[in-house]
Amino acid sequence: MVHSGALPHTAIVPPFLLSRIAEHAEPRFAQAAVAARATLARDPRASAGRAALRLDVEAGSLVAEVVAAPDRTISDAEGREDLPGVPVRHEDDDPVADRAVNEAFDGLGATFELLWEAFERASFDGRGSALFATVHYGRDYDNAFWDGERMVFGDGDGEIFRGFTGSVSVIGHELGHGVIQHASGLVYEGQSGALNESIADVLGALTEQRMRGQSADEATWLIGAGIFTDAVEGVALRSMREPGTAYDDDVLGRDPQPAHMRDYVETTEDNGGVHINSGIPNRAFAVTALALGGFAWERAGRVWYGALTSGLSPTADFAAFADATLVAAEAEYGEEPEVADAVRAGWVAVGVWQDERSLDD
Amino acid sequence: MSDRSTTEPAGPVTVRVTRTGGIGGMRREWLAAPGPAEAPHWAELIERCGWHDTPSARTGADRFVWDIRAHCGSEEMAIELPDARLIGAWRDLVDAVREFARTPPPEAQKAPEAQERDA
Repeated sequence: MVHSGALPHTAIVPPFLLSRIAEHAEPRFAQAAVAARATLARDPRASAGRAALRLDVEAGSLVAEVVAAPDRTISDAEGREDLPGVPVRHEDDDPVADRAVNEAFDGLGATFELLWEAFERASFDGRGSALFATVHYGRDYDNAFWDGERMVFGDGDGEIFRGFTGSVSVIGHELGHGVIQHASGLVYEGQSGALNESIADVLGALTEQRMRGQSADEATWLIGAGIFTDAVEGVALRSMREPGTAYDDDVLGRDPQPAHMRDYVETTEDNGGVHINSGIPNRAFAVTALALGGFAWERAGRVWYGALTSGLSPTADFAAFADATLVAAEAEYGEEPEVADAVRAGWVAVGVWQDERSLDD
Repeated sequence: MSDRSTTEPAGPVTVRVTRTGGIGGMRREWLAAPGPAEAPHWAELIERCGWHDTPSARTGADRFVWDIRAHCGSEEMAIELPDARLIGAWRDLVDAVREFARTPPPEAQKAPEAQERDA
């Protein structure tokens, strides 16, 4: 039985213990024994992923389940702009003295858990592939990015930015780009690029909310909270709930994100404003999740993930993605009409749809 | 080192570097407008760059995008580079512009409009 909350009972079970459980003949441990045998029978060449055996006690019986488990390697670029850097922490290693290494390791773990527990997706590619990240990239490097294979984090310049591993939403955002690359390949330009950015923000925000156990109305809906130094007049890189309000600073200027299609920014910079216009679908998601209440990764998150993995065109625009979310909502939550209603409200709120609509429109 | 007389610009030299993208999507801009005494050195930095290169395809997400525009005498050059291509002579030029903007040269050699700008 799937444990839907936090995961205090999850553990990587060593082979000797799996063997003991697999051989257990006592009836009340029957399911655990089957699961253990399945874990042992896994051909490591058949999948790039690791597996864990989750043990729980329910009504006096030991319940076991094989679940995907992360396989993380964090490397240190040692201030250079060369990848991958020197490996400094592997999956089974204890925490190290370097805070950025541990933050990256933990953040990737939290994102992996979100993908598996909320969406049944094994790692960013759905095949359980290993996660690679590099910290301490460059000197005074003011950025974090996904290079197509790994996540890379700079330390910031110390004047505007602190280190980028200090925000779980940033780490989830970067791994989110890996999910999007494999799930739909949204082209990183114009509206499809802004969708790419927005869905990465959704995954980053959901990672942070799930890790903190926050419901939609308890969450900050901020991306990158805490990575600015105290010298900056701002709280985060972006606000999903109120785009355009994250910062207003003498050096950085004012947060340029629009919250509505009437303010869509046409520009050739930033790959056609992918980090600017993402404010529009970001707010659509926040409005949807807040309308539904509860944990955003449950219904709103599953609808957005369902749309992403529905065969979405790589050049999808906001309207095409909105259509896909309504299809996903009605397919998965046909018995709960409030879900589709919340999706409609989200896209109407940001002007992608002019009025509420059905799939027949 | 090349003969600076071969890179003597026939007029003022300015280089403007605009960085967009990155996870924050924040626009930063730096301008260098060196005085006549420094112009040959800057002309050499500019000449070393491959202004007619075809930028390679972008991969990944949240990488910086660099827009570099130079005026060197009567010549005007511009290019947009993905972050991964900011290496070699391009990196030297951009670092020089950022350093110029950060640490202005003596007032006698500095054009009045040279400054660091942030959008």
